[in-house]
Amino acid sequence: MPSYKRPGALLPMSTGYCPGCLHGLATRLVADAIEELNQQKNAINVVSVGCSALNLYSWCGDDIGAAHGRAPAVATGIKRCLPDRLVFTYQGDGDLAAIGLAEIMSAANRGENFTVIFANNQTYGMTGGQMAPTTLVGQKSTTTPYGRDPVTTGYPLKMCELISVLEAPVFVARYALNSPKGVMDAKKGIKKAFELQLAGKGFTFVELLTNCPTNWGMSPLATLDYMNTNTVPYFVPGVYKDKEGGKQ
Amino acid sequence: MKKSFVFSGSGGQGIMSAGITLAHTAIDMGKHSTFLPEYGPEQRGGSAKCTVIISDGDIISPLPKKCDTLIAMNEQAYGKFIDDVKEGGTVVVNSSRVKDTDRQDVKTISVPVDDVALELGNVKVANTVLIGVLIGATDIVSKEAVIASLEEKFKEKSPEIMALNIAALEKGIALGKGTV
Amino acid sequence: MEKRFMKGCEAIAEAAVRGGCRFFAGYPITPQNEIPEYLSKRLPEVGGVFVQGESEVASINMVYGAAATGTRALTSSSGPGISLKAEGISYLASAQLPAVIVNISRGGPGLGSIQPAQSDYLQATKALGHGGFRAMVFAPATLQEAVDLTYNAWEYAERDRGPVLILMDGCLGAIMEEVELPEMKVLNYDNTEDWCLARVGGREDSHMITPILPELALEMLNKFKGMTYKMWEMADVKVEEYMLEDAEYVVVAYGIAARVAKEAINTLREEGFKVGMIRPITLYPFPKASLDNLDYNQVKGIIDIEMTVPAQMRDDIELQVKGRCPVHEYGRSGGILLDDEGVYGAISDIVKGGA
Repeated sequence: MPSYKRPGALLPMSTGYCPGCLHGLATRLVADAIEELNQQKNAINVVSVGCSALNLYSWCGDDIGAAHGRAPAVATGIKRCLPDRLVFTYQGDGDLAAIGLAEIMSAANRGENFTVIFANNQTYGMTGGQMAPTTLVGQKSTTTPYGRDPVTTGYPLKMCELISVLEAPVFVARYALNSPKGVMDAKKGIKKAFELQLAGKGFTFVELLTNCPTNWGMSPLATLDYMNTNTVPYFVPGVYKDKEGGKQ
Repeated sequence: MKKSFVFSGSGGQGIMSAGITLAHTAIDMGKHSTFLPEYGPEQRGGSAKCTVIISDGDIISPLPKKCDTLIAMNEQAYGKFIDDVKEGGTVVVNSSRVKDTDRQDVKTISVPVDDVALELGNVKVANTVLIGVLIGATDIVSKEAVIASLEEKFKEKSPEIMALNIAALEKGIALGKGTV
Repeated sequence: MEKRFMKGCEAIAEAAVRGGCRFFAGYPITPQNEIPEYLSKRLPEVGGVFVQGESEVASINMVYGAAATGTRALTSSSGPGISLKAEGISYLASAQLPAVIVNISRGGPGLGSIQPAQSDYLQATKALGHGGFRAMVFAPATLQEAVDLTYNAWEYAERDRGPVLILMDGCLGAIMEEVELPEMKVLNYDNTEDWCLARVGGREDSHMITPILPELALEMLNKFKGMTYKMWEMADVKVEEYMLEDAEYVVVAYGIAARVAKEAINTLREEGFKVGMIRPITLYPFPKASLDNLDYNQVKGIIDIEMTVPAQMRDDIELQVKGRCPVHEYGRSGGILLDDEGVYGAISDIVKGGA
């Protein structure tokens, strides 16, 4: 049963996210999983750059800010030195799939024993809504005012699909946070990833499809519908790799 | 006493190895020494050069413009570095590969080290023959100390390899002595 | 003390291990590959961690992560790679994390040349990264000095909580000399320092290491760092002053250039010319006092010798000379080495020409 009190892993303060932003929910799901696994004092959150950085201040426990895109490299340094700690990165799509593409792919390929939480909202939220590597074809942004044109900007990057073809990762999954079922599944997925890490199994990757009412220019409710119609058909939720569960 | 040596040739001729052996031997004998390799982008077959300084006192600059002794293992190296030898200095040439020697103000010792090494059974010991020639001609380090360095260097190799190197060293010493 | 005939890169790698380094991340680049190669074998022997990063950028950020755990961490590179590490070095400075960075420098700018050069003085001393921080910069001239400085580099990095740079050129990285290796330091990791992530069992309270700060806190940090740099100038300058008492000409040179210059000075002294040398061992903090306090009624000229063209240390020298005598420079660059004859000739022309 989900708890409706504030998770112990979060400080009693506002997250700083815009109203209706699913980053807050994503942060909470991570915090819930940590609490349920009794890892508050053992977890180290490697915070990235972008809106995801806002949870640097709300975290109760050790956390460290990483340079843009470099969270998987920072987490590598930490986890190799402190192998018993629960280490995870929390990264957005610009951070992970554009400027940090080398770091995420290489850490995944080395099979580093930490967890990556990837919040994909298809935009650079903090800098004001520029095109992200995950912005959908036709989707408008401040740098694609006529909608993303694949002729000049290519196609949205599917990170779960990319990472699941590597040998080393043990668990790769994508969840959409725009429905209650998606939220429940996501929480199970995050918890499973943490459990695999604590068992020393290797690299785990959880992608969470989120929204950005502010930069998409929609009401929060409208973003959920937009996700159903546009995001989910392209970024298909599901477990892409589960080595322990027999799914390669 | 402070002497500088330039070993030159092409990659694979054991240039670096000979330089390190000489420097190591000098240190074992209580002298001071520096070994400076010149590195290139080629992993194989490029030119190879190193500078060894041996001194009784501290070595201040490891970058002499001119050397006391040049060891040239091929024609190209000879042409490239012959002008860097001090007047009155010594040049040891591998006459298996260097045909023309033209400087009159240096002492030139010509030994066909490749052929000598082949006669001994393996062209790879050419650089050990060369060290022999060098100590035969200059007594910069002792034969015993070189043998001790070689034993250290080849400690994980077969006794045959060590024996071949000692034979190469002795042959080189004899050739080096004979030419002075 | 243990004596060994070692290559420069390997000597500093061993000195790092003996100085407590237990984490290395780096990316291949000539002429420093012997450092990662040596440590890939050596660190596992002492329970340390070696990671070959996917880039210079990743490597310095791995060091950032390792340093945050209180582990003594090292990375090494050469000019082009140090440029890539600039981001991570700046983050180390803002998050106040200790780490040691080695630059075995080569000809620049750009991909430049893989041959030795002292081409990174300005980068090292003025701007190792964005944002206006400074790092202590050690510039050894012999392998023994390199070993000793590397061995103690983390003491400075941890005392002042920031990056420390060891700047050597490809020549010192490749040369073999005899070195005396110090004893292995025994470090106590049981107690978690208050600046690092808890090693065991976490903390009661939230502990945050952050490279981003609210404006007022950031200004406070910068003011504090400014005071630290002043303290360095007072307490941490390392310099060799050679034959300055009666010197009419003073050579200023560091690292390999200082060795070549010293040989020339000895020759000129034998010829009866009064030449001395100031050799900065810390390039930052720069030995300002050594230059400022010279007797300019006696000194007729300063000669800046560097293995780079144009000379990069010259601005720092002129700021102390304050126009009291002419400042000359001589150098080679692009990976062409200085040599005894060239440096002797350059100093000799100035001294004998009475310029």
